[in-house]
Amino acid sequence: MLLTLAAASLLRHRTRTALAILGVAVSAAMLLDMVMLSSGMRESFRTLLLSQGFQLRLAPKGTLPFDTEATIRGADSMLALVRARPSVRAVSPVMGGQLHFATPHATITSAALGLIPTVQGDYELVSGRHPAEPNEIVANDALLRALGARIGDTLRGGAGFDPQLRAFAGMRTLRVVGLARFVYMAAEQRGAALEIDALRAMQGVGARDRISLAMVRLANGADIEAERAALTALLPRVTVISTAEALKQVDERLSYFRQLAAILGAVSLVVGFLLVTTLVTVSVNERIGEIAVMRAIGVHRRRIVAQIVMEASALMLVASPIGLALGLVTARYLNSILASFPGVPERIDFFLFQPSAAWTALGLLVLCGVLAAVYPSWTSASLPIATTLRQEAVG
Amino acid sequence: MPQDSVRTIAIDSRLATDAALRVGDTVTLAAAPGEAGQRARIAAIVRRSADPSEVARGEYRVRLHLTQLQDLIGYGDRVDRFAIATRGDSATTDAVARINASAFGFRAHRSRDIAVQTSATFAVVSRFHRAIGVITIVASAIFLLCIMLLKVDERRRDVAALRLMGISAPTIVRGVVLEAAAIAVAGSIVGVMVGALTSALVNLHYQSVYRTPLRFSMITADIVLLAVSLSLVLGIAAGWLAAQRLVRTPPLALFGR
Repeated sequence: MLLTLAAASLLRHRTRTALAILGVAVSAAMLLDMVMLSSGMRESFRTLLLSQGFQLRLAPKGTLPFDTEATIRGADSMLALVRARPSVRAVSPVMGGQLHFATPHATITSAALGLIPTVQGDYELVSGRHPAEPNEIVANDALLRALGARIGDTLRGGAGFDPQLRAFAGMRTLRVVGLARFVYMAAEQRGAALEIDALRAMQGVGARDRISLAMVRLANGADIEAERAALTALLPRVTVISTAEALKQVDERLSYFRQLAAILGAVSLVVGFLLVTTLVTVSVNERIGEIAVMRAIGVHRRRIVAQIVMEASALMLVASPIGLALGLVTARYLNSILASFPGVPERIDFFLFQPSAAWTALGLLVLCGVLAAVYPSWTSASLPIATTLRQEAVG
Repeated sequence: MPQDSVRTIAIDSRLATDAALRVGDTVTLAAAPGEAGQRARIAAIVRRSADPSEVARGEYRVRLHLTQLQDLIGYGDRVDRFAIATRGDSATTDAVARINASAFGFRAHRSRDIAVQTSATFAVVSRFHRAIGVITIVASAIFLLCIMLLKVDERRRDVAALRLMGISAPTIVRGVVLEAAAIAVAGSIVGVMVGALTSALVNLHYQSVYRTPLRFSMITADIVLLAVSLSLVLGIAAGWLAAQRLVRTPPLALFGR
């Protein structure tokens, strides 16, 4: 009975109801997008950091990994200290740099990572194998495309320039042994990886016994924060960053997007709320006589309120699935825009769909629907029956 | 070099505040924690530039003499970049071409090309804002249409009476459209005021969060013009659609007969 009355009331003005549903759907889409933006970016980054199983990262003091060109000196003794700790399962040192390849038309430059292939967490092998010799590299698709090279090809590359001799410094013949996908590199960034000692040898004496970063994998059940504190005390020349700390830093840098998401999400909710409140209020005012009659024939105040709440909630509930679908489409488009940020890892999603995001958006919309019905419900529940009937009869 | 052999440096105001440093103070600079380093005297405290590319980075800036930094970090006779002043645009083109023809291991770039590259992040943010703006406009258009429909619907009886008195449908449509335009203009004025206030709050908040003089939000004449025009067009369109719907309904039906 209540449902029938609510449906009849909404269907009486189809255009108006359809427009309201469309309006709420757009608001719901925006709300979903903003919930996805506020939580997705963080979750996506967290997943990326933990994807390779390393919980701690050691970077030069006061920096984030690869945020500057600073390196850690005395790396070998430092790594030995870290490896000796009982809760440490594996340590992956990384040296960053560049490789330059001369082609007939131009010099192709690529980011280069020197690492220990058996414990590395910077790339995933797509095909081929890991470097096993000092003259072997794995490269990503962008670099192989730029060089016109394939697995098995041999390249001549250097790690720097010697302007006086007009030659590459640390020139070496390198064989491509694998195609890799680099976890932390941007979509079109060229990348290659080789053994850390090989890269350091190419870079010259300045790179000896240095690393840019080390990633630490802890034993199962190890207290990550306790280990971070212990390593910080043990190694005063490095910054030890846990995943939680890295996320905090990312949060600080990307706080703009979270705040934007909060503001736009709130605005979307307010717009949806105002739309439904206006519509239901006008609808109630139009049939104030009907409501007075229902009250006069003994329909309880609670039933009238329930019907109005149902009308408002129905608008929100019908609009929500449309908004959800619309939100997913717009999120994909907006994500494609933000994915073109320079230097952002390919795998970072700014808009990450999680069921919790959809449930949060739906819950907020339903709450808004109920709140939107408060004012019209109160008006209809408190109307003076006799006066209203007389006014309606007189016109 | 000063007589006391302590060279001078300039630090940014953020570092000065955080470390309670003043002009004339002597500090020790080292390339890595725990190293002996060199002593230097603070000769100036500089205000951070309003550079968008640095805004989210909480780094401190210290300015040293070139040779002083080269000594400190063991950089030898190397630099990261040169800036070259040229005489006019054609001289710049010529200089870039000549340097790049003979360069090995470095390249010459025009300052404006570098500016475009370093502002790529902001170009992405700008595209993102535009996309959000389009969604907002769609939502506003629907909202406005809905409100106008309700507003016009409220006056069914008035319109029916006017029609029965012989007022023509085009006159009624014009009246409704005029009213819609007035509402749109009034809404725009309120919107511009709210926007200006919000913009001021946004600048106040983010300038304090990022400790920068950079202006994050700016309301220009172009933006106001665009917002008011859009609002006017949307308001008139919504009013026209609602009025058309009303005048097509027979007057007696509008009376509910």
